[in-house]
Amino acid sequence: MADKQMSSSIKLPSEERMRMSIFVNGKKKELEIHPAARLVDILREQLHLTGTKISCGIGRCGACSVIMNGRLVNACLVRAYQANEKEIVTIEGLAEKGLHPIQQAFLEEGGFQCGYCTPGMIMAVKAILDQYPNPTSQQIVDGLSGNLCRCTGYSGIIRAVQKLAEKETSRLDSKC
Amino acid sequence: MDYEEGKGLRLKQVCIRPDGVEKVTGHLKFLTDLSFPNMLFAKILRSEYPHANIVSISTEKAEELPGVRAVITSKDVLGLNGFGLIFPDQPVLCKDKVRFVGDAVAAVAAETEEIAEAALQLIEVEYEPLPVVDDPEQAMLPSSPQLHPNGNILHQASYQSGNVEEAFQSCDCIVEETYQLPRQMHAYMETEGGVFVPEKDGTLTVYAGTQHGYKDRYQLARILNMPEEDIRVVSSPLGGSFGGKDELNIQPYGALLALKTGFPVKIHQTRRESVRSGIKRHPMKIKMKTGAKKNGKIIAHQVRIIADTGAYATLGPAVLDFAVEHATGPYMIPNIQVEGYSVFTNNGVAGEFRGFGGNQVTFALEGQIDRLAVKLGMSPLELRQKNLRQAHDPGPVGQKIAPTDGAQQVLKQISQSKLLNSCRKQDHNGLIKTGVGVAITMHGGGLGYGRLDPAGGRISLNEEGKIEIAFGFEEFGQGLLAVIEQIAIRAIGCSREDLHIVIGDTYKVPRSGSSTASRGTSMVWQAIQRMKAPFQNSLLERASQCTDVPVSQLKIGEKGVWHQDELLISYKELAKQTIDKPLIIETRFDFPATPCSIPGGHFLYSFAACAVKVEVDLATGFVRVKHLEQAVAAGPVIFPQGYLGQIEGGSVMALGYTLTEEALIEKGTYVTENFDTYLIPTIKDVPLSIDITAIEELCEEDEYGPRGVGEIGTVAVAPAIAMAIYDATGIWVNKLPVSREEIVNKMMETEMSKWLTSK
Ligand code: FES
Ligand code: FES
Repeated sequence: MADKQMSSSIKLPSEERMRMSIFVNGKKKELEIHPAARLVDILREQLHLTGTKISCGIGRCGACSVIMNGRLVNACLVRAYQANEKEIVTIEGLAEKGLHPIQQAFLEEGGFQCGYCTPGMIMAVKAILDQYPNPTSQQIVDGLSGNLCRCTGYSGIIRAVQKLAEKETSRLDSKC
Repeated sequence: MDYEEGKGLRLKQVCIRPDGVEKVTGHLKFLTDLSFPNMLFAKILRSEYPHANIVSISTEKAEELPGVRAVITSKDVLGLNGFGLIFPDQPVLCKDKVRFVGDAVAAVAAETEEIAEAALQLIEVEYEPLPVVDDPEQAMLPSSPQLHPNGNILHQASYQSGNVEEAFQSCDCIVEETYQLPRQMHAYMETEGGVFVPEKDGTLTVYAGTQHGYKDRYQLARILNMPEEDIRVVSSPLGGSFGGKDELNIQPYGALLALKTGFPVKIHQTRRESVRSGIKRHPMKIKMKTGAKKNGKIIAHQVRIIADTGAYATLGPAVLDFAVEHATGPYMIPNIQVEGYSVFTNNGVAGEFRGFGGNQVTFALEGQIDRLAVKLGMSPLELRQKNLRQAHDPGPVGQKIAPTDGAQQVLKQISQSKLLNSCRKQDHNGLIKTGVGVAITMHGGGLGYGRLDPAGGRISLNEEGKIEIAFGFEEFGQGLLAVIEQIAIRAIGCSREDLHIVIGDTYKVPRSGSSTASRGTSMVWQAIQRMKAPFQNSLLERASQCTDVPVSQLKIGEKGVWHQDELLISYKELAKQTIDKPLIIETRFDFPATPCSIPGGHFLYSFAACAVKVEVDLATGFVRVKHLEQAVAAGPVIFPQGYLGQIEGGSVMALGYTLTEEALIEKGTYVTENFDTYLIPTIKDVPLSIDITAIEELCEEDEYGPRGVGEIGTVAVAPAIAMAIYDATGIWVNKLPVSREEIVNKMMETEMSKWLTSK
């Protein structure tokens, strides 16, 4: 009897709820959710946006990288209450139609293999290029140092970003 | 032959892989991304102890937790309570004994993952801890606790030729050293997981990544006591594997819970769960004694390998055989004695990992060659050249192999590397030192002599009018789909739009064997060569029958069959008109093995040479690889981007193996549990460019086509880095990962003694 009481008295955190609204890829979403739910779970499980991945769950790999109010974040470390009222861009929201130039460069230069780190990696590249349209090697390496890739050894990723930077340079050159 | 011979300049060619767009857009559904209506979530309870008896398990409280749908223990295993690619010695659910911290004791399916997790905490398991066997050498002693009925030695392998003892007598120079290699984790970014769906007709669909769908089906059928045909395994795509997902992992639990509850069940392990339960690369302790004559001719080589295989067999025996076979590498040594032991301990489970035992012995072997070169006062390249195999020499265990000049080719290529002659710059206060190193390797493909190694494929004209190519291989990032596409387009003469490639689903594909041992590309090429003529002939005959144009005037091309520069009949139309007599060509054959009866002995080999330049910071012991080059001889390149990616990615994985990676276990328990302490290279740790040269020429009579390159890029890197560290600092590394502390301490010792003597 006492045991039974004990088991049913286990309180699951998910029983507490808050209302939240987030703007994901430009669309407003209203949710009832535990305030400490992880953004990565909200995206993957509530909103079925499985492009954002989960790998380490502790902010070390960047597989869950998304852009929140213009800044790159690890969605496994962001909680619902922190994401409330924020604007989120995920891989699914990168290009409205067709491919974003970053995606094209990854395709051409072999910036991915298994593709599991890729959505996060591409979001990280976007964050770099948003900040520095023509990044130095140091800026590329700093900006991607939180995104692990086990397959490519980063060579293809570096080639892809360099290609994008070169395009940007020649675009700027042709402007002047 | 259908490949164009080239000089490796084609590696920069752009060609978009068929699975590319879905991957860069995030639209690709990995199997851990799937969800189904009414899906339950499962969690697995793993052992609290590395070694213990189970006294009792009580699941009642867990079962009573609202939202819990099923709890299973050993008594719920419907068939064989065991799995393992060679022997099924690993319990699905342990009944009375646990042998490592990843051993499964119970599993729960619940309405949410959170409830399942909470339920695990309510399962009461009473253990009686047993002494932990954590040192393989101790484990070999009769006094050690025995982990399995046949004792602690899982497997023993040896090779002998000539007489080493006598030969050592006549050596002018002998090097003896013990090398220690760490437990490396695959660290695929997608952890193990999938969804298990009980179908209305009583069958079960398994959506879970593996390297060999049919093998999973076979193992699951035994466990579930179900006919194999009633299980469908959908097994691609995977977010990386590197050998780590070839063995079963979460599949038995998901399957049992799905059958028990009657609902789809999802499992997706967290990284910590993955580290704890997943297989790793075998830690090895390798003792080598190698002797040479003054002129550099190596005449004696003695090797003793002890591999820590952990708690269960999985592919432990095969990994050891591979290490024993490759212990002399590409060198012709008249007197050899190699013995190896694969030993059970309570240290996790070691199994298949890219390189398959070759990485460990090559580190030791190349270390010996470099030490000998220094002792003999000879250049390491010259010493290698003096002892290197020629095209028609037998294989490393004296077996007949396909003639190959790969060893000579890669050594010649790497000798021309600019790296090796680049200047040794030192920073102004002399604390940063630069060094260079080279190593080479030879690596067997396929499973080897005496192992069932069947391959096969199918080409058909399907109802939609697509040329359907089906293989039982898996796509885990290596680019298999692109390889199939490239080979098929060139062989058949159609366009990529005409193809429909099918892999990774036992309901749809023929048996091709495992996507392992660098065999995929090789087997796809050989299968298509076999099927090409019958398929083309039959296709043309049908076209001729439908159009009354003689076969001799027809040509296979884009969209259909052509006649004098005009599309005569489309594949679609052809399929429609011959629908009652579908065109299907299948082939079955075995991966070529050596005819000599040497267990696991290989027949096809690939080769690599690696040159690196490192900087060592003497104040911190930090080693940075500044440049890395590899020359690879593995036959023609099929898909340049994939080839390049395999060697680049393999190089960096090996860089991690050399400098930072170790899944540390203390007293049977993992200390490194996630990427905060298990350090795989980040973009900051890698050289900004890695130069790869592909040597495509094969021997004239070679009819085996391209070899796979999934493993070869990982093998020669560690010894090259170790040599470069010696070159920079005078410190010999014999234990990986390289210890920064040791570098600092050794430098202090030498500096100190210099200072003392100068006084
Ligand atoms: S899953 Fe979020 S950083 Fe790894
Ligand atoms: S592509 Fe596989 S982890 Fe990056």
